[in-house]
Amino acid sequence: MNHATRADKFLLDADRTTWHDETLWFVREKRDRAVYAVPEFQELRELASGIKDHTLSRLDLYLREFEAAAQANGVHVHWAADAAEHNAIILDIIRQQGATRIVKSKSMLTEECHLNPYLIKHGIEVVDTDLGERIIQFREEAPSHIVLPAIHLKKEDVGETFHIHLGTEKGESDPQRLTEAARQHLRAKFLAGQVAISGVNFAVAETGGVVVCTNEGNADLGVNLAAVHIACMGIEKIIPRLTDLGVFTRLLARSATGQPVTTYTSHFTKPLPGREMHIVIVDNGRTQQLGRPDFRASLKCIRCGACMNTCPVYRRSGGHSYDFTVPGPIGAILSPNIDMKKHSSLPFASTLCGSCTDVCPVKIDIHTQLYKWRQVLGEANEIPASKKWSMKFMGRVLASTRVYGLGGQFARRALRLLPHSLTHAKSMNAWAVARELPEAPRQSFREWYAKQPQPVSSPPQPKVPA
Amino acid sequence: MSTASRDRILAATKANKPTETSLPTVPDFGGEATAERFTAVLTGIGGSVVWLDGLAQLEPTLRQLFPAAGRTVSPLLATSAAVDAHTPTEVLAGIDLAVLPGEIGVAENGAVWLPEANMMHRALPTITQHLVLVLDHRRIVATMHQAYAQLPNTGGYGAFIAGPSKTADIEQSLVIGAHGARSLVVLLY
Repeated sequence: MNHATRADKFLLDADRTTWHDETLWFVREKRDRAVYAVPEFQELRELASGIKDHTLSRLDLYLREFEAAAQANGVHVHWAADAAEHNAIILDIIRQQGATRIVKSKSMLTEECHLNPYLIKHGIEVVDTDLGERIIQFREEAPSHIVLPAIHLKKEDVGETFHIHLGTEKGESDPQRLTEAARQHLRAKFLAGQVAISGVNFAVAETGGVVVCTNEGNADLGVNLAAVHIACMGIEKIIPRLTDLGVFTRLLARSATGQPVTTYTSHFTKPLPGREMHIVIVDNGRTQQLGRPDFRASLKCIRCGACMNTCPVYRRSGGHSYDFTVPGPIGAILSPNIDMKKHSSLPFASTLCGSCTDVCPVKIDIHTQLYKWRQVLGEANEIPASKKWSMKFMGRVLASTRVYGLGGQFARRALRLLPHSLTHAKSMNAWAVARELPEAPRQSFREWYAKQPQPVSSPPQPKVPA
Repeated sequence: MSTASRDRILAATKANKPTETSLPTVPDFGGEATAERFTAVLTGIGGSVVWLDGLAQLEPTLRQLFPAAGRTVSPLLATSAAVDAHTPTEVLAGIDLAVLPGEIGVAENGAVWLPEANMMHRALPTITQHLVLVLDHRRIVATMHQAYAQLPNTGGYGAFIAGPSKTADIEQSLVIGAHGARSLVVLLY
């Protein structure tokens, strides 16, 4: 299954696809309004990009600085080379506590590592506390967006899910009442939570603290009631200084949802006496990506989701069509690094329009990287034979004026003479599955131009003052 | 196991990192550091601002704003129930209203810096049903840059809080009162 075939499934419900498209575009418009209200927004993007570039260029040193500062704060720091080690470390911490009830706030890293199924398999109850994540956890689905995990669902779907799992009235679909039901349900989980797991938005090398941004307050409530806090972060979450947060907190929520800032921007630095704080620093392919000069800028990502909201392909194919933890344009440049074969169709799930690059708050050249991944995939023979050979063929045709001219003549004639059922055969011409080919003209522009009379005199030249 | 991974990760990071680039200096972009701006932005994100004619007016103002408030806690009120870092979860869960002193207000986004020292208990600002932050209007700055520049450090725990807890996870419909406080009032004096 590739992106296109998975997208086909999403597209079966045309009304829902339109709703999805328009809803995400609405978020993009909210982003624009928030961004235009900040005169220095473009300077902030430039600064954020510069700070992230600098951090990657000294990443080993900043990781050491962060570790030392965190340890001085009484925090336990763990290192995980891959997903399996990350999961094992967390299970180990939970078992040392004798804990079985875990509350978890949003963390794309733990999704990437498939932590939940691992913990559940080992008899640990893990409850996702972000409302959107709880909804999809009940439904046993993956998030379809990194900021709006349940954006593929309608309120009636949520109502049905809550009716089954929380006993709300059948047919209830009022967001206010459904949210209240989730609040009551999750309060009980928060109060009983023994260990709280959170993600990390920013890890400050200077202070050894981690910053978590939420609107719901679920990270704060979970962490501050539980005896143990485990914060999970990829190595790229580091920023050098506390004051760098001024730049990133001004960009993150405006880019993500058009809010001036998230409701809670929480700084977890030291555990209370008698409590524990652990930070798990994870590689899982990131150092490899750091070693790819064309693709390392993808590690600057702050996971705002702006590239998804603006992407014409994402909006009309849905997050699940990417079949990767991080969908959308940024996911399409992160995923081939993890598994080139499995994710080979994702860099092609783009029009290369560049809108993603335009909205990226840290100025990642996303569409350029999509193009470059296509080259890498072609070299590695990871693209379908039909695409490979048609590209090679087109390359030949377009490289020669004579062949191109002849090809054009042939195509114009063939389109006129061959039956529609053949020129639009779905098995042979994927382009025409949902489109009509234009009516073929009698002659090309070049043929027309060659027949025009030669101009007798040169056109009047503009006068240039001496 | 983690020592070996630590060394491997640090070695790979060192080997694969790009040529060093410089760390940009972040300028102070100036901006509007007014109570009016702070009020407009906070109101726009679901919070509210009420002016207090001096701290002496705190108690009557709270009675007026929350006539039906149940269990109220505050380090600023003599009458309040006691909460400290050791207060058990069951007691915290019954708190209706917390009134806490905020340190810095940020005009561009309506956020208020609340350090651990002002919280009574780390979970109080999110477990309480309603939250009031009391803020000296002279402590309002224009931007997050200026706010961070004023923070000596972030202590063990601290948060910028901008409005009440909220979510739009069901069909992008905004709902106030997700898991944390259902309402946020900033009392400016």
